[in-house]
Amino acid sequence: MSRFFQAEVTGNILLSQTHNILRITPLKPHPSPSPGQFYLLRVSETMDPLLRRPLSILRWDESSLEFLIRLKGRGTLLLRNMPPGGCIDLLGPLGNGYPSAGDGETPILVAGGVGIASVYPLIGRLGTDPILFYGAASSGDLCLLDDIRAVTSNLYLSTDDGSMGSRGNTVERLAAFLDETSVPKPVVYACGPEGMTSALLRMLRERGIPGYVSLEERMACGVGACLGCVVETSGGYRRVCKEGPVFRARELGF
Amino acid sequence: MNLSVEIGGLRLKNPVLTASGTFGYGEEYAEFVDLSALGAIVTKGLSLTPREGNPPPRIVETPAGMLNAIGLQNIGVERFIEEKLPFLKQFDVPVIANFFGDSVDEFVGAAERLSRAAGIAGLEMNISCPNKQAGWLVFGTDPRVTFEVVSAVRKVTDLPLIVKLSPNVTDIALMARAAEDAGADAVSLINTVTGMAIDIKTRRPKLANITGGLSGPAIRPIGVRMVWEVFRAVGVPVIGSGGIMNGEDAIEYMLAGASAVAVGTANFVTPTATTDIIAGIRDYMTANGIRDISSIKGGLLWQREDL
Repeated sequence: MSRFFQAEVTGNILLSQTHNILRITPLKPHPSPSPGQFYLLRVSETMDPLLRRPLSILRWDESSLEFLIRLKGRGTLLLRNMPPGGCIDLLGPLGNGYPSAGDGETPILVAGGVGIASVYPLIGRLGTDPILFYGAASSGDLCLLDDIRAVTSNLYLSTDDGSMGSRGNTVERLAAFLDETSVPKPVVYACGPEGMTSALLRMLRERGIPGYVSLEERMACGVGACLGCVVETSGGYRRVCKEGPVFRARELGF
Repeated sequence: MNLSVEIGGLRLKNPVLTASGTFGYGEEYAEFVDLSALGAIVTKGLSLTPREGNPPPRIVETPAGMLNAIGLQNIGVERFIEEKLPFLKQFDVPVIANFFGDSVDEFVGAAERLSRAAGIAGLEMNISCPNKQAGWLVFGTDPRVTFEVVSAVRKVTDLPLIVKLSPNVTDIALMARAAEDAGADAVSLINTVTGMAIDIKTRRPKLANITGGLSGPAIRPIGVRMVWEVFRAVGVPVIGSGGIMNGEDAIEYMLAGASAVAVGTANFVTPTATTDIIAGIRDYMTANGIRDISSIKGGLLWQREDL
């Protein structure tokens, strides 16, 4: 089973003006991913745009893989407009993914914006009724709410503009929750934009709460060769594609 | 059908090499490519001591290409020999160690150490990285300094010595001649072309290093032109590189005068690019009745009046 494989686009659901879910069916048996891993998708058969786009795995079963895509630039526009029936090639699953929670630990999932794609597979896999903090700029940016509510009732939504859930950012919402609730051995699993990530890392450090954070960086090869996607950690530069994308919170933002 | 070529005394089973810095230490691509099927593996650039490299962001996509400013991050020659070379030795493929230094002494030191290690078939010296400080630049841009550093390395190694040239010069043929005069067995070109990209919203450079090296299909015409210039100026073999994405691109470089080609950025786009390109070269040979790949080297048809 190769991690470099062809697939057919078997679905492309437009969720909003900015988000879509691309469903693909590999043409040959392919290795199964684990939560937090990602794939590099070829967005065009031409040389421009040149590089593959890294996308977290959202959902999968034996025959298909699904990716949540937020429209950002040329690559994501091509992925948004990809018609079912077309062919696409992928490289993955790549990276390390999230570890499981330890005995007696209470996982708290935190997603900002399209970071929900990375965290989503954990919802059904980290115990029953897991706690999820999910924030975005506006209600239209919150995706998959019905699917999420079907799995957990411990959902805390927030939006920057207050159009859904509480007004304000996710990290402040989580901090307030931790102040008013006694959570046994909390451990955070998070993916979100840079601003959220750095605020979260600060908050975790101040409170001495362990966590795992998935990072994003511009990427070329995806297999650890080009050294293009490094981030600074307490142990020096580490490759997001290989040692990441999930890092221990205490390795980051030191 | 004969795909084998000779580069400075090194017999390669085909003319497709990996470009330094785009294939890691080989192991990163072993699950996608049969390493024994390659003409040679050129390693990530090595220095006497490990290097941290530049701060991120280190890469950015550009039209039909990408800029990088990795900053020659590497584990150093000692760890390479101990940790990476044993893996590569399992394969029936020549390993060419790419190396660099910040001074003539460091170039010499790295070359000496690599030459003592069993399992290295050749050396490629990088005098042309665009992502280094100003003082370093002269190795690849001042022909007298090029001559000096290549001569010094030549004295300490009997391995086939390839010198990788920078396109960021006025006259690359002059640089190639300096390398040849100093005892290089071959030259490889081009390294990346210095470039820059700006985020107009934040007014910040898109790379932390501000400038970087441009690679990919965008630079292929520059590479082809420079290979043609160098081919006519030197007697040693030329390894062509710069935006080779398929077999046809490789053939274009060979017609310009390349004895072999190095595949770089294409590995990032398609992990099987190297072996795909070997297959593409075979297809071209079959379709055009070519028995020996070396017969097309410098086969560009042109007349004096074309100049």
